[in-house]
Amino acid sequence: MAEPVIQFDRVCKSFDGHPVLRDFSLDLERGEFLTVIGRSGCGKTTALRLVNGLIAADSGRVLVKGRDVAQTDPVALRRGIGYTIQNVGLFPHMTVEKNIAYVPSLSKSPLWKGEERSRRAAELLQTVGLEPGLAGRYPRELSGGQRQRVGIARALAAQPDVLLMDEPFGAVDEITRRQLQDELLRLHQERGITILFVTHDIEEALKLGTRVLVMEEGRPTQFGPPSALLSNPATPFVAQLVRRSRDFAPRQ
Amino acid sequence: MELIQAIFALYRERGGWFLGLLWDHFLLSGQAILLSGSIGLLLGIFIAQRPRLAPAVMGVCNVLYTIPAISLLGILIPFTGIGNKTAVIALTIYGVMPMVRNTYVGLTTLDPDILEAAAGMGSTAMQTLLRVKLPMAAGVILAGVRNMVVMTVSVAGIASFVGAGGLGVSIYRGITIYDPAMTAAGSILIASLAVLLDFILGRVEKHFKKYGS
Ligand SMILES: Nc1ncnc2c1ncn2[C@@H]1O[C@H](COP(=O)(O)OP(=O)(O)O)[C@@H](O)[C@H]1O
Ligand SMILES: [Mg+2]
Repeated sequence: MAEPVIQFDRVCKSFDGHPVLRDFSLDLERGEFLTVIGRSGCGKTTALRLVNGLIAADSGRVLVKGRDVAQTDPVALRRGIGYTIQNVGLFPHMTVEKNIAYVPSLSKSPLWKGEERSRRAAELLQTVGLEPGLAGRYPRELSGGQRQRVGIARALAAQPDVLLMDEPFGAVDEITRRQLQDELLRLHQERGITILFVTHDIEEALKLGTRVLVMEEGRPTQFGPPSALLSNPATPFVAQLVRRSRDFAPRQ
Repeated sequence: MELIQAIFALYRERGGWFLGLLWDHFLLSGQAILLSGSIGLLLGIFIAQRPRLAPAVMGVCNVLYTIPAISLLGILIPFTGIGNKTAVIALTIYGVMPMVRNTYVGLTTLDPDILEAAAGMGSTAMQTLLRVKLPMAAGVILAGVRNMVVMTVSVAGIASFVGAGGLGVSIYRGITIYDPAMTAAGSILIASLAVLLDFILGRVEKHFKKYGS
């Protein structure tokens, strides 16, 4: 069997004496789309930030492509992992194009020099369903949905094979959210990237995930394909979550 | 009315002399501005990266700032003698405070989400500073520069008390020979220089506020 791309090995993490993740273990195979769902404050963002080393585990290990994150150069690690944060976090002083080209520019990628930069940024804008004409705009000149799309384009720019997404569609209306979900599904199928996607919306978790992880108070309580959550909820919380979603079509 | 006429008469009769003083004044304050600008910026960046040191450094800067300019000049004379050097040192010490304060505040009140994104995408600490933090703080830092420049240009007016050049020379002479018009003529030029620089920096600051954050 192939080596898991992301591995949590009995990870514990506390903040100020409050345990946030307890004995958290998880294996994520290459090409999987894992959606993580749980109440706000249950440790979803914390789990993501452990993967790119923005925080360190108190005990246990996190491995990315077999390498312990604690022992990897964080800068190199992060440049190989696409990351979209909960509130997008576009750079307000950079145009859309410069925002998208940020990671390649950090590593001085020759693929993004001069006119190539405009061409590639335009291509990525199209990938996320935006007009290439937006390249010269500043983030404050964009709508919430457009910003989220630019955030995704920025995360894709360095062609990472792992993508961490923290409630990326939180701040957009229902219709835009559906479009973004469909585009992300298409990207996942086309590129075969491994995605770790946090959401608090069960419908979204079931629609996007090849597997879904339910977290309750820092512990994984169910981990399986969407259909298993519907047919076999492992805890009362999962049962309650999916009760309202019986009518929705899960990803097969 | 008489005073105003006297001032204009002075400008007419001794235009060259005043221009020379204005130029000296510009050079004198310019040196102090460059020094306190760079020292203050570096010190502000330094304490923003090491927040534990911030209260101590800011405290010292605040204390220095509260010393009246004239006594700071006096205190320095035994160490650095009289002349431009002492004036530049005093003005530099004075100007560091607004620079440190604004640089520190600008760098430590940035949107944490944006810093999270910058770090999460693999910026080194230096890249985050140069590409994200400083450009975003530029508006606040420039407000500090503006504050410091105006203050330095006007405080430089008393530098002639320690034998330095600049428009203070005409102010001082006006006082000693009891010629209010001469004192006023020098002061007006100082104020005009300060207002002009303030206006230019205001435009620059506006540009950075718009595209900065
Ligand atoms: N840097 C931090 N310092 C202190 N407490 C934190 C920090 N990050 C998260 N927490 C706490 O950890 C808990 C889990 O947070 P988080 O992982 O962000 O939850 P979620 O993303 O599931 O909403 C929360 O109670 C939060 O207050
Ligand atoms: Mg969160």
